[in-house]
Amino acid sequence: MTDFVALLSSLASAGVEFIIVGGVAAAAHGSPRTTQDVDVVYERSAANLNRLELALRPFSPYLRGAPPGLPFKLNAATLAAGLNFTLTTSLGWIDLLGEIAGAGNYRNLYPHSKPIQAFGVSCRVIDLDTLIAAKRAAGRPKDFEAIAELELIRQRKLPE
Amino acid sequence: MNSIDEIIEIYKRDVDVTLIDEALRRTVEERLQALQDFEKFREELRKATSGQ
Repeated sequence: MTDFVALLSSLASAGVEFIIVGGVAAAAHGSPRTTQDVDVVYERSAANLNRLELALRPFSPYLRGAPPGLPFKLNAATLAAGLNFTLTTSLGWIDLLGEIAGAGNYRNLYPHSKPIQAFGVSCRVIDLDTLIAAKRAAGRPKDFEAIAELELIRQRKLPE
Repeated sequence: MNSIDEIIEIYKRDVDVTLIDEALRRTVEERLQALQDFEKFREELRKATSGQ
């Protein structure tokens, strides 16, 4: 089971710069669709990679779907050497994304995100238009139904 | 309109907008709480059926 709140809280309390994307972002915008993981786009400065390592270290991050026993250690060096990581932790599943199709990296995405506050956690979430654009850019058939739903949310929500 | 747009328009016909309207009436925190609650429910179901 993924504890969405605990994962986001651990990142936020460590000062990690990240933006929520994917299914949790869709839920924040009003999608009734469920998800089993947290997807975040993270900023890739050395300082932020260190913060990310410290935030997740207590929760035994490991490559999701990989056989046990691999010499994998999530630290700043590992993060710097890669880009996107699909992880399992003792708090559940989290995907750390250096960039996403249609929206780019953290710096590209930041102007297209907005702050949210929930459960005492302050963080940023991709805005609805950019979430739709990213899912369209990904072009995955599994996203078509979610895109339809998100576009209906855009039509039906009141102006903020 | 390209083919992806056409497919998405077809999907829109079957979206239950009452669920969307209900979610839009909630705060962001309430929406995320609903997601968390469902995840807990799914896990309970998984545990309950894993021995069968």
